[in-house]
Amino acid sequence: MKSEKDRIRLKPWTCEINGGRVSLNISPSRRLLDILRDDLGMTGTKRSCDIGRCGACMVHMDGVPVNSCLVPAYQAEGRSVTTIEGIGRDGVHPVQQAFLEEGGFQCGYCTPGMIMTVIALLDEHPDPEPEQVEEALSGNLCRCTGYAAILRSVRRASERIIRERCGPGGKEDARI
Amino acid sequence: MLSRSSSGTRWRVRPDGPDKVTGQLKYLTDMSAPDMLYGRVLRAAHPHAAIRSVRTERALALPGVEAVLTWKDVPGLNRFGIARADQPVFCEDRVRYTGDAVAAVAAATPEVAEYALQLIEVDYEPLRVLTEPEEALAEGAPQLHQDGNLLHRSEYRRGDADEAFGMCAHIVEATYRTPRQMHTYMETEGGLFVPGEEGRLTVYSPTQHGLMDRLQLSRILAVPPESIRVVSSPIGGSFGGKDELNVQPYGALLARVTGKPVKIHQSRMESVRAGLKRHPMTIHMKTGADASGRILAHQVRVLADTGPYATLGAEVLNFATEHAVGSYAFGAVDAVSISVFTNNGMSGEFRGFGGNQALFALEGQMDRLAEALSMDPWEFRRINLLPADGTGPFGQPISATGGALKVWNALGESRLWREREHLTESGNRPPWIQTGVGAAFVMHGAGLGYGIPDPSGGRLLLAQDGKVEVAFGFEECGQGLLATLEQMLVEMYGLDASDLRLVIGDTDAVPDSGSSTASRATSMMWQALKRMQKPFTERLLAAAAEAASVSVECLRIGNGGIYDIYTQKRVMTYQELAAAGKDPIRAETSFAYPVSPTARIGAHYLYSYAAVCVRIEVNRLTGRIRLLDQFHAVAAGPVMNPQGYLGQIEGGSGMALGFTLSEDAVMEEGIYKTGNLDTYLIPTAADLAGPVEVLPIEDLPEGDEHGPRGIGEIGSVGLAPAIAAAVRQATGIWLEKLPANPALLQDASFLGRKGETV
Repeated sequence: MKSEKDRIRLKPWTCEINGGRVSLNISPSRRLLDILRDDLGMTGTKRSCDIGRCGACMVHMDGVPVNSCLVPAYQAEGRSVTTIEGIGRDGVHPVQQAFLEEGGFQCGYCTPGMIMTVIALLDEHPDPEPEQVEEALSGNLCRCTGYAAILRSVRRASERIIRERCGPGGKEDARI
Repeated sequence: MLSRSSSGTRWRVRPDGPDKVTGQLKYLTDMSAPDMLYGRVLRAAHPHAAIRSVRTERALALPGVEAVLTWKDVPGLNRFGIARADQPVFCEDRVRYTGDAVAAVAAATPEVAEYALQLIEVDYEPLRVLTEPEEALAEGAPQLHQDGNLLHRSEYRRGDADEAFGMCAHIVEATYRTPRQMHTYMETEGGLFVPGEEGRLTVYSPTQHGLMDRLQLSRILAVPPESIRVVSSPIGGSFGGKDELNVQPYGALLARVTGKPVKIHQSRMESVRAGLKRHPMTIHMKTGADASGRILAHQVRVLADTGPYATLGAEVLNFATEHAVGSYAFGAVDAVSISVFTNNGMSGEFRGFGGNQALFALEGQMDRLAEALSMDPWEFRRINLLPADGTGPFGQPISATGGALKVWNALGESRLWREREHLTESGNRPPWIQTGVGAAFVMHGAGLGYGIPDPSGGRLLLAQDGKVEVAFGFEECGQGLLATLEQMLVEMYGLDASDLRLVIGDTDAVPDSGSSTASRATSMMWQALKRMQKPFTERLLAAAAEAASVSVECLRIGNGGIYDIYTQKRVMTYQELAAAGKDPIRAETSFAYPVSPTARIGAHYLYSYAAVCVRIEVNRLTGRIRLLDQFHAVAAGPVMNPQGYLGQIEGGSGMALGFTLSEDAVMEEGIYKTGNLDTYLIPTAADLAGPVEVLPIEDLPEGDEHGPRGIGEIGSVGLAPAIAAAVRQATGIWLEKLPANPALLQDASFLGRKGETV
């Protein structure tokens, strides 16, 4: 039950989420994480530390990975947000496929955030150096796997992406 | 070495994988319901205080608040605890730690619930805070419980240790200290609590043992267990931390009182404050050997900080005593362990179950003693292994596997151990980078142990829709239980994954299998499937023979249906068989986890063995240790699921790295100083990027009846002592206190003499 004062503070808010326009009446300080999970029922983005340390709530904002627990609504206003629900809509994404094949997950709670981070990394560096992988992933905590299977998943995804782009019939003929 | 490529077709995509990588899997804390309320718990404002009064009127008057509960609103037993129900649901007249619950609120929004907590007025009279077990045992200390501050004492003696020490040529003595490690499951505690028709209540909340939660909740609510349905999987990590009740009593009470669904999802800060941790232990050991290197005497003194309430503190202590003796043939043993109540955070069940602390100390003694004798540390272990395979730490008969010697051999032949001799030359490294190789030998008991009821069981059913329904009362914590169950049915029964429906994590639908704990679930599923294989198959074939009017001797079960063994053609599908059948075709089994013929409470019968070797480097300027390379030889019987096995060892080891190097939930005056993941540091990908080799040793003696042994915990117990041995080689420093954080080694680097202890 909201008081009259709370109602007044609500403001119209629009954002593009997974390619669709979303308009809500919300407090400008509401966290993007809560908008996704509680207002929109998109629970693939996970809540864990609430302070931007664990990466479970990672989404892309204009293509850049961000912890959605640290993004107030007003910062996401008019931006383009991609969540795990927006990945692999036209078939399983190569990163998701690699995690499946390598077993790069156990309880799976960190996995959506982890996959968002890996996709952003491989978008920028399709063939990353080990140090680039370690740095990119260091904001995503996993308690189950000890990361070994995740690192193998990243390597496998990278190989597949490069093969798709550069191999026979690939979209590009030169390695990025 | 175990890997995807070495496993061939046995490396399978997990059945829960697609929903996990797409974010489609609904965890129980993702659930919501129309018109649901948000539940919050008011935790104690002091680590130790008397409650003079609790006034809830202002909170109740807040618009949007639908219930404010205190101990007066608990219809049944206002206590819980798996082994000993001494933890209050709501405190009546006293709080004993800052996670204690005083009241709970249900409100229309999380914000109103949060605000309502602030309107609950509690008058406290602070009492003296017991922060150290020694302090709690001292004369004049306030008594936290009616029976005093000692939760449990566990002793084991063999021979005359005093006399044996007198005959030793070398004696080493050290005091080891281990941290308050947090489980740090990524999904914090929570769930959805839904009242139903005729007094039914459905609890959607993660736990490792749904039926135990149901029993405990029924006592609290004073209702029959059958009126409660506990849905407990999937789980976003547990590691022992969600076996005990956490928020379930509050959700259940609030839902019953308001008649509406209630959601609770604890913040990380609240999870840290209220949740279980690994017992901090101070372990003093004195161990002596004769001039030939044979150990004659071993003295153990364990002091554990169990926090304010029992949960499984006594059982953890028994396990620590057992593993502080371990698999070595000590002449005389004198072990005394005590677990003490304090006003610190709750200590309880955590992967390794007291073995982590005990084995860090025990293996430290082995290295110190070998060095005192100028012996090779690995050879020193071999000559002191229990001579007869088949004897446990307490001298009890155990199931012989030959695993101890096999992992010992495997490590001795490993690439990493052989590198050890060539590390002393500094190569191209800067002089402040020092590297070392170290190893540890560990064993770990599985099952609950002698004297503790440890039932298990499972059920198979050909369902109406033609699916082979397999039901166990186990939980999917992330370990891959569903994948392992599926793989066992595919490989043992010849069924296809698409023939199966796996049913777990729902007390309305599963038989009692016991808890998904103590590295027992895979062993118990294998045992149950083996027991049910013949009766279930025979019943399927008899029904098929009747339906198809063929001789039962001509039939076998297989992928998708029943086959003619001569033509290899499918006679009928499972759907056709289910449709033809009049009576349901089923098999059920119940049995107990095997125990040793002994009288020693907690003594185990089935053990796994592991040998762990690591290479590390220490930066003497920063004091930072880096783990560079790992090798694990694990003897635990046949590998049921290669991906799961590898994941358990790699993951357990990763968790052990935190225990060794960075993790400590720091408390001052009973208050957590490390409140979240910015100061409580679990390893990141950068800390664990080095290679990990896992060598499973699968063979078992002929006639072995117990099959796969547990691997859920053994990966988490050997890394700390292996790193400690490597630090010794690299720097000359003996680690006695974990975590070995940079500050410790940095200080030492300015002093850095051989023989230093930090």
